[in-house]
Parts: sequence; structure tokens; C-alpha cells
Amino acid sequence: MKSILRSLPPALLLPALAAAQEQQLQTVITPAFSPITWERLVDAKNEPENWMMYSGTLDSQRHSLLDQINTENVSELEMKWAYQIPVIDRAETVPLVVDGIMFITEAPSNVTAVDARTGRVYWRYDHELPEDLRICCGRNNRGVAILGETLFMSTLDAHLVAIDARTGNLLWNTEVAHHASGYSKTAAPLIVKDLVVTGIAGGEFGIRGFIDAYDPETGELVWRTHTIPGPGEFGNDTWLGDSWATGGSATWITGSYDAELNQIYWGTGNPGPDWNGDVRLGDNLYSDSVLALNGDTGEIEWYFQFTPHDVHDYDAIQIPILADIEFGGEMRNTMLWANRNGFFYTLDRATGEFLLGDTYASVTWASGLDPNGRPIRVPGMAPTYEGIMVSPPIVGATNWYSPAFNPDTGLFYVTSFDGEQEFFKRDEDYEEGERYTGGGGRYTQPMDAFHSSIRAIDPTTVDIVWEFPIMPRSSAGITTTAGGLLFSGSADGYFFALDAATGEELWNVSLSRRVHAAPMTWSVDGEQFVTIASGNVVFTFGLRN
Amino acid sequence: MSRLSGAFRRRMAGCAGLGLAVLLTPATLAEDAGNLYNTAVDIRMGERYFERQCSRCHGFDATGNDETGAPDLTGRLTRGSTDVAIFNIIRDGIPGTAMLPVAADVPDPEVWQVVAYLDSLRYDPGSVVLAGNAEAGNELFWNGSDCADCHMVNGRGSRNGPDLSRVGENRTPDDLLADMVNPQENVAPRWWRLRITGPDGVSREGYRMNEDSFSLRIMDDEENLWSIPKDSLQSYERIEDSTMPGYAQTLSESELDDLVAYLFSLRREEI
Repeated sequence: MKSILRSLPPALLLPALAAAQEQQLQTVITPAFSPITWERLVDAKNEPENWMMYSGTLDSQRHSLLDQINTENVSELEMKWAYQIPVIDRAETVPLVVDGIMFITEAPSNVTAVDARTGRVYWRYDHELPEDLRICCGRNNRGVAILGETLFMSTLDAHLVAIDARTGNLLWNTEVAHHASGYSKTAAPLIVKDLVVTGIAGGEFGIRGFIDAYDPETGELVWRTHTIPGPGEFGNDTWLGDSWATGGSATWITGSYDAELNQIYWGTGNPGPDWNGDVRLGDNLYSDSVLALNGDTGEIEWYFQFTPHDVHDYDAIQIPILADIEFGGEMRNTMLWANRNGFFYTLDRATGEFLLGDTYASVTWASGLDPNGRPIRVPGMAPTYEGIMVSPPIVGATNWYSPAFNPDTGLFYVTSFDGEQEFFKRDEDYEEGERYTGGGGRYTQPMDAFHSSIRAIDPTTVDIVWEFPIMPRSSAGITTTAGGLLFSGSADGYFFALDAATGEELWNVSLSRRVHAAPMTWSVDGEQFVTIASGNVVFTFGLRN
Repeated sequence: MSRLSGAFRRRMAGCAGLGLAVLLTPATLAEDAGNLYNTAVDIRMGERYFERQCSRCHGFDATGNDETGAPDLTGRLTRGSTDVAIFNIIRDGIPGTAMLPVAADVPDPEVWQVVAYLDSLRYDPGSVVLAGNAEAGNELFWNGSDCADCHMVNGRGSRNGPDLSRVGENRTPDDLLADMVNPQENVAPRWWRLRITGPDGVSREGYRMNEDSFSLRIMDDEENLWSIPKDSLQSYERIEDSTMPGYAQTLSESELDDLVAYLFSLRREEI
């Protein structure tokens, strides 16, 4: 037997130290990874040491009950480790942590398991991609979902893969849609009971969007709900002619789930072509909407369309935040939504009823919302061949990056942008696999001329309670904690903590490269950490020992 | 082992009949027709260029290098399967990686010669004639042997050995037979064992998933994952043997042939 015995210093063996060493071993080794049941996912809020899904909990509040790091000691944070992603690209990953093991997704469609305490690698899964990808906006991947001992990941070639969480072995690989036709996948799936629910990207390629549910054991499709009704279905007549077939309405971010109402909530993207609405006259259901789907069948139980007949690319690709709040003197099951179109909405999530809405950022395309929440358009704001200045710009007042809701403060937090842009329209024919956007946009001022901020919004009034200005244009998500903290990042490479109640800056660190992801927090052996991706690197911070 | 060698033939690249005339053919025509620069001389010239310019990262035998991260070029290539795709990668590089393009003044024919050299390192698995029967091997793998107690293929099986889903891409039939008859010959570090003893005197043993200067990670016999700083251990022992038994005695020659045929068939379909 070839064997190399490595001995460590004999001092470690002294009996006097035995108790301390035993303690040390218990506290420094990673506990065995344990399977994730659906019950654990439903109760994720009460297991704050783990971050078990993209938005932390099924209600997507991104609020952790961990409070070891708090407003008193956050200034003592120091870097514990950094993990450099070997493929050079920007990281949009929100890692998961399960019992001391962290799962990090990487561009283009890879995943690595590391020891959460040290960032050292257990295994890597490299997904092989074809050369003819059709992707609009970079080689991104935002995260995995986990159920049992299996990870589920979207890939840029529009596949859904299942990976063994212990070894990185590929268990199954299902083609969700044909990549060469313009479909791709970047978002973390959502586990709903015994289903892997997942969306699709490709709204700039004339796809027809959908939300799918797959069997986690086999990868077989269980149901598909199209986000554009087909002929004969309700809403198909909101599309001129055959425009429904190439109408986009992609579903490229992760949704939320209410276990009591058994409803899945998912946002939908822009109608296509993005900036030329002439070929698709009508409201274009269910683009720029939130859909409430039955948690078993995927049937649409209600919908709310934020931007009917959108011509500005105002995707409703935001994370639906579910919160039970006092509204008009009674507790309501609400859904809170700061939309790319510049309006904030409070909806009743059981019925989709519009409760309240108003602007939270610069808006010129609409003058307000009517009593049903439908925007009151300002005439002459549609893109033209010559160009017309409109706010928000194409990237929106916010976009896909995660907002947060803190039940302690009752505030909703969003990364917002007050920009404007000239919108152009172009005549364009659909060609399978080619971009189908019908126009575009142009800034007429440098980015530094615009204003970006973290805004804290009271969802019962849409008042902005405080705002913290940051250099534009941030695409970082937000996480809050029971320690009274709000963590986020900025385009100029800072990671920082604010007082969630007041917006006061408490700590920042320069990580140098753009923060293009959302932070998450977790703990091992009673010690809390916070993790953020910046540039190409995943950083983990903890309190000075 | 040797009894397969006769049956297993490498395709000899080259088509000498095209001769010098093609050296004057514009590269665009070569692209249309595949690689026309593939005579024995071209392959030798390509090898010479490869040794000068490529071997620093990919190794003199083109089998890759863990330290530089340069992949093995002798098996199935992941970035491109056609001559044109390989040509383009050499010509243009791979953005965002250390794979740089060749200098702009290197003429296309020279790049095609490198393509020819790389082609000569590979072979067409479809042309390999094997003694065994892949279907019988499939049956034996899953139902007539203990293979699946440790190995996984396409998501089925176990975690206590290498995933064999694509084993036919980088192992020749000779290699596969050798792996089964004498598994101790080439044990990948991922499948070494580590026996660790904590200060409490309790020992744990598992597969060596990863080891670095200050810590190690194992999967123990219950498939638990552990990550442990070395300075917290009394001792740790590295066992570089394979846990796989040799099958020369327990399986018949024809059974081994069938398993080789099955394992060799475990490849992605050619694109």
C-alpha cells in the first residue's frame, strides 16, 4: 500500500489540551450536508444559518433573522476569504449555503461547491455549451435551486440540469427550449413542493415566453404555462394578427411562492419587438405582468399587467416580494413591487387587486395610475424614428436585481435609477434566431450626470422614507437582517452596510469591481457571515475574531 | 490487454495524393472542403509548430497541463469538433482565457498544419472494431456485476467512484481494459483516500475530494462531506491505492470484452 503518513507537532497531542482540541475539531469541521426537504424550504426563515434558495425564502423578502452582525459591530467586518471564479466574466451569482457548504454559480453555466468557512473547493461542474448561443446580455448565471441532494441550474443553451450536490455529477440534462431559436436561461429555478419551476429568457429574439415545472427526479416536463395566450385562449386578441407567436414575454428571473394560497408568482418581460409596437397593437397580455399560477397545475389564477402595450422595454422582471402588512386598518396578504416602469405597486396577492401605486423614481411616460392601477399614458412618448426622450430609460427605474423587505422597519428597499434616454423605433422583420427588437435607445448625457440611490419605500403610502445616493447605475441587489442592517453594493465596486431604519452608512469596503449580484448572509457553528460577488470574485466577510 | 490491440486501430491521418498543389489553395477553399493540409509532411510541420508555440501550456504530448489549465487535446475537444472550428480557435484564440490567437503573420496553411497534427492525435471511435458486445456489457454493468455499486453513468449508480458517463471519450479500449484488470495502475488523486485522526483520537476515512496546503476535503463512507483544517488534526494518512478490485479473476475474458465495448460506447454523440 502506498501511503504517506503526515504527523503534526506533538504539542497537539498533550492530554492537557485534549478538551480544547476536541472543541476545536467540533467547531472547525463542516457538518455533514443534510438533504433539503420541502418542509425545510417552506420554513427557511427559521433556519437562517442556511440560505437555501435564490431569494432566501419563498416570500422573497431577502430578510435574514441573523443578528450577530448588527448596527453596533458591523464596522468590525473583515474579509474571511475570496473565491476567484476561473472564467473571466462578471458574476451575478447568489450562492446558496447548506450546512456549511456553499454552491456558487459561475459564468457561463458552471457551478462550484466550496467549504463555506474557507472558500476551498469540493467539486466543480462545467457545463458544455454550443457555439451558436443566442444571448442578449452577457454570459450570466444567477444561481441554483436545491431539493433533496440535487442542485438544479439553468444554462445558457436553454437547458435545465440536475447536479448531485455531493459530487457535482450530472444527473440529468433537459432541453427546455431550442437555443438556436433565441431561447436561453440564466435565472435560478424555484422549488415548489415536488416541482422545479423555471422561466426562460429570449425576449429580444421573438420567442414566446413560458413558465415550466419539471420532475426533479427525471427532468420530465410536468406543466408549461405560456405567458402569451394562444389562439382561442383568453387574451390572444390583445395581439394584432400573429404577433402573439413572436411576442416575447420572457420569464428570466426567479418567482415566489405562497404555501397557504398555493400560488406561484412570476414576473414577465417585455413584449417583442421591444420598441416598435405598431406590429403588435393591443395590450399584449401577459407581457410586463405578474402571473399568479396554481402551485400544482400551473394554471393562471389571476394576472396584473403593469405596462399594457409596452414600447419601452419595461420588463416586469422583478422579484415578487410577499409580505403581510397592515393596510387600510387591516392585515392584508400583499405583494410589493417596484417596477422597471418607475411605479411602485402594492397588490393583494390572493386576488391580484390593485391597492396602491405611485412613482418611486423619475417617470415621464405616464402621468399616474388609474384606480385599477393601469398607467395613464402621456401622449407622444412612444419611440419614434427620430428619437424621443423618455424616463425611465431602457434599463428602467430598477431591473432584475433583488429588492428586499424588512418586517422590522416595514420598509421596502430597492436600487433605483433616475435616468432618461432617447428611444428610437425601427422597422424589423422577424427571423428565427435573430434579434427582434424594433429599435433601441441612446443616452445623451454621461452616466455620472444621473442619480442612483437605494430607496426605502413605505408600502402603505409609497412615501420614500429615506434614500442613500450611490454612483449610477447600480445593478446590485439588497439584503436586510434582524441586526438592523441593509447590505448592498455599487457599480463602482463598493460593498456596504446601511442602517435599515435610517439609511445611515455604517460600513463600506472597496472591492474594486462592479457589484452585479445580491448579497446573502448565513452562519456556521454560530458565526455569521455575509457573502457578495464583485467583478469575478466571491467575497465572504465576518466579524473580527 | 494486448489481444485488443490488433482490433483497435488508429486512423492514420493524411491523404498524400493531394500533394503540393493544395499548398497553393486559398484558405477559404480549404475551409469549404475541410482541412486540405493533412499530408504526413503537414502533420510533421504542424507538430513542429505545436512544440514551439503550444506545448508550453498544452504539453509536448498535447495531453494538457493542470497547472496552466490547458486542456488535453488528444481526446474529444470541447470547444469545437470540426477542423474549421479548431482552425478558428487557433487563429482567433478563446476570449477571456489564456488561449491566445496565433500571431497575425502566421499564414493560414501553417495553422491548418497544426489542425492536421491535432487530428492525428485523435481517432474516429466509430472505426474501432471491438471483440465485445456493448449491449451485453450494458446488461452486465447494471445487473450482472457490482460496477454500479460505485460508479455512476448518466445520473444512475453511486458516488464512490468516477462518473463514467463519458469515459469512452478519453480512454481507449486498451486503457479501459487495463483499468479493470489493474485498477491500481493509474489512480487519479481525486480517488485517493485520506485517513484523518482528530485530536480526540477518532479516525475518519474518505475519498480525497480536494487537498490544499492548509486544509482537506473528503467524502466519508456514509457520503458525508467534510472540510477540515490540517492544523486541527493529529495526523492524516494518504492512501494512493484504488478502492476498486481487479477484475481479471472475477470476470471472464468475454465479459471484460463486453464491458470494454459498453464503456467505450459511453460518449456524447458527435455533433
